[in-house]
Amino acid sequence: MRRHLTLTNRPIDEAALLSQRQMSETAGAVVSFVGVVRGQEEGRPISGLEYEAFARMAEHQFERLFDELEKRWPVESVRLIHRLGAVKVGEAALWVEVMAPHRAEAFAACQRLIDELKRFVPIWKKPISKG
Amino acid sequence: MRLRVQFYSYFKELAGCAETEELLPAGGTVEGLLQQLYGRFPRLARLERSTLVAVGVEYQGRDYVLKDGDEVSLFPPVQGG
Repeated sequence: MRRHLTLTNRPIDEAALLSQRQMSETAGAVVSFVGVVRGQEEGRPISGLEYEAFARMAEHQFERLFDELEKRWPVESVRLIHRLGAVKVGEAALWVEVMAPHRAEAFAACQRLIDELKRFVPIWKKPISKG
Repeated sequence: MRLRVQFYSYFKELAGCAETEELLPAGGTVEGLLQQLYGRFPRLARLERSTLVAVGVEYQGRDYVLKDGDEVSLFPPVQGG
């Protein structure tokens, strides 16, 4: 399984990520997900979120999640980008792409990866108030 | 045992620092370390039940036995994605 993980302070460039997509003869399904910062946090308007990570542990926990995906489903490739630092409302904080032979495993693996990263990966967010 | 303790997220503000060193008797556990830390950082004690602990890059439970030189990280529930 090809795996690509990036934690970055730079904006996520979806066009570049799409142009870098490596197809294969066996991958019939590509599922991608974008997590976007919303304009409200706990009922209060915000202008963005500030993300912090315990980077070394986050990388390790992501690798463990990738290991699990590889064991459970015939995933061919996973790419994941998570923003750190300030991310404005409407901007992507998370980008995930899973490639697999069929859609069932592509959707399932993508869902599992996101559900589990929210439980285990040491990343936190702090609201940036409006005004 | 000499332990390096790191705080993440708002635990840094509550502790007043991002990292510190703590001495613990040999054979001490994560629980023992926490109780000692709460003596120095009482504002963290209120969050004891929701505090996550990692040793190195792995989560560990309260009964994990620490070794000299271990790097212990304390932080609130994670919020990635």
